[in-house]
Amino acid sequence: MLFIELIAQGLIQGSIYALIALGLTLVYGLLRILHVAHAALFTLGGYMGVLVTNQFDSLGLAMLVAMLVSGFAGVLMYRLCYEPILHQPPFVALIASIGLFIASEEIFRIVFGAYGLSYRNPPLQAQVALGPLSFKQAELLVMVGGALIIGVLALLQSRTRLGIACQATVTDPEMAESFGIDLKKVRYVNFFIGSALAGMAGVMVALLNNLVEPTMGSVASYKALAIIVLGGLGSVPGTLMAALILGVVEAFGTIYLGKLLDRNAIAFAFLILVLMVRPQGLFSRK
Amino acid sequence: MKPLLSVNHVTVRFGGLTAIDDVSFEVKPGELLGLIGPNGAGKTTMMRAIVGVVRPSQGSVMLEDLALNSLSIDARIRAGLALSQQLVKPFREINVQDNVAFAAGSRKTRTPTAALCHVNRQAERAQAFEALGRVGIVGYAQQSPKTQPLGVLKRLEMARALALKPKLLLDEPLAGLNSKEASALAQTIADINRQGMTIILIEHNLSEIMRICQRLVVLDNGRKIAEGLPRDAMNDPGVRLAYLGGDADAAD
Amino acid sequence: MEYEISLVTAVGISVLFALSLNLITGFCGQISLGHAAFFGIGAYGSALLCKVGLPFLLSLPLAMLLAGGFGLVVGLASLRVRADFLAITTMGVGFLFVGVVRQQERLGGEMGISGIPDTGFSKLAFMLLTLGLCVVAALFSHYIRRSWMGQVFNAIAEDEDTTRVLGVDVPRFKLAAFAMGTALAGLAGALYANNLKFISPDSFGFVESMTVLSMVVIGGIGSVAGVTAAAIVLSLLPSLFTFVGEYKLLVYGGLLFLMMRFSPDGVTGALRRAMAHGRR
Repeated sequence: MLFIELIAQGLIQGSIYALIALGLTLVYGLLRILHVAHAALFTLGGYMGVLVTNQFDSLGLAMLVAMLVSGFAGVLMYRLCYEPILHQPPFVALIASIGLFIASEEIFRIVFGAYGLSYRNPPLQAQVALGPLSFKQAELLVMVGGALIIGVLALLQSRTRLGIACQATVTDPEMAESFGIDLKKVRYVNFFIGSALAGMAGVMVALLNNLVEPTMGSVASYKALAIIVLGGLGSVPGTLMAALILGVVEAFGTIYLGKLLDRNAIAFAFLILVLMVRPQGLFSRK
Repeated sequence: MKPLLSVNHVTVRFGGLTAIDDVSFEVKPGELLGLIGPNGAGKTTMMRAIVGVVRPSQGSVMLEDLALNSLSIDARIRAGLALSQQLVKPFREINVQDNVAFAAGSRKTRTPTAALCHVNRQAERAQAFEALGRVGIVGYAQQSPKTQPLGVLKRLEMARALALKPKLLLDEPLAGLNSKEASALAQTIADINRQGMTIILIEHNLSEIMRICQRLVVLDNGRKIAEGLPRDAMNDPGVRLAYLGGDADAAD
Repeated sequence: MEYEISLVTAVGISVLFALSLNLITGFCGQISLGHAAFFGIGAYGSALLCKVGLPFLLSLPLAMLLAGGFGLVVGLASLRVRADFLAITTMGVGFLFVGVVRQQERLGGEMGISGIPDTGFSKLAFMLLTLGLCVVAALFSHYIRRSWMGQVFNAIAEDEDTTRVLGVDVPRFKLAAFAMGTALAGLAGALYANNLKFISPDSFGFVESMTVLSMVVIGGIGSVAGVTAAAIVLSLLPSLFTFVGEYKLLVYGGLLFLMMRFSPDGVTGALRRAMAHGRR
């Protein structure tokens, strides 16, 4: 494959990873919890997207519904699952999250069937030519949409009151509270945004593959964890860079190392290698 | 007399900030040395450099003939240092006596193999009891650390450090105690020193320091500004300026 | 009787596997999300050795050495990273193992290794061997707990930094935990391979790592009896209630979540609190 094609493929995959990993990094930055169950919201978004599109023939509506449903589901998860165990050591939240995730994969399987759903009329499948490369419209949506979202998020974090409030609650929750910042509200908003993003990513991936199935979140979730570690936990730009880099590394890796390692092994081998050289992650603020 | 600890031209830098600037001093065997200075002078950083939490950018720390610079924290402890920290952290799931007994068992916990081959804790419990006696909290031996007041926990810290049978004890004891408790603890420290333990006391509370320390080293802004007998050090104009110039609780 | 013997053997292997993780996660507090990789190393190691003619019993210690050796490497790597990174690093190791084995034809590739030769033991004798090893492992774990090593592990699990300040070479003890735990997992894997006579990469993935972790967590991290009981119950569950077999993962996931939510120190912790409550 052309060098540029590989890079493009990598960036598309990386954009998807970035959307998922962003929600995860927001949660980690806020609560120091590795929110594995996040990927369930990704899958949920995908299902919502396909169901709504098949019912109402509108991708825009589907996107909206997916984001809202995932967003609220995420807040619910926080309320029921994490809030009560915040004072426990971190492994408790991690394992609870993993348990929740495994259970939700099974629930998807039971409710929607093991073989997955597809679009009846998959939208945005037309090819678009950009120079020597040809993309599906859906792929362009992923890249452009992803970049837009991330840009907006970065702006929100540094410019708005809410964004600054978020950062304050991370660095010093007690002081933030004494300034009148409502910790609970900030956390709810954080979870909502991160989860909505995951839902959006789910819709986009469903578009790319024209398939939503119960386990589509699993590998994405584990890789998202690897990404936020690589990116320096809690850093939005770091996560973005790490996601894109991982996408590209995977694209090249599967071509050149495919004989030795499968796709996931390449991703994690990369993670382990990086951590050995730089234990604090690629872009850690320290 | 050969010094027990010698700090030689130690400089510690964090990024662009110089926390310790070319500080040198010695500690003689059997001494009770006070390391003092106003807020932010670098006392805690200096202690961390000796213990190994922080690595100096320049200079060296020697324990008798042993260079400490390349050793890990636990290796330095095994070489003869012991630390009684400002933020007390006992093991919460075991009682006071067992906390100290764990430290007393340092010979058995040297290597995993040694640890695997030993089960009996009687000797260590006895040593722990003795250490608790030296710091005056024998009555609390069976209690859980979770419910003890700060004064007791500070003495537990000290007993734990003593149980390691160190050559040198680094102590940051008095913060957070009221004046009566601080006075009592300071007296205990003085007694332990009289029994032969070399101690470096890192402290904010000037009145107690003046009372019990034989010699002072004064830091300000990372530099050593005075050294010597307590009265002489406190009369030094540079020291008075450092304290009265910015620090509220130096006015006693 | 044959079905019961197979079942007991399988349960015994699960118990051994769970006890091995208990040494690392339960005793020493190091979260490993990739423990199935070492189970797999032991399985593949023993399978390959037996296929080239090595007697079954000899393959057992070799499998342990192989798994423990890799465990030491991973342990050394884990020392470099922070606690919350450790979970992810070990998870990565798990995926790495499956990824490598899946692609290598010499290791059986996607299809795995079949036709593992006869061990020379009857079904009953194999079961007794497995149970015997379980008992040895449990006794060993119990001994460690009572020894000074157990004391050190408890200290490390509670507060690593303070333990260092008390003169303990914490990294070395962590390595010891890793080496022992992974070697024992390798033993369990070797037994697994020779029991089933066939292994494939699918049996050593993330789900398996989570399953064994759930046994340790639900049993009550650190408690030998608790972990053993949890391993027995959780591995019997699918066979006892055939409907659970279909929903096995749902039950595992749900149990993990509920346990962490309501009783993070597992069933053992809940029992202890119930007894203390009863005494008042």
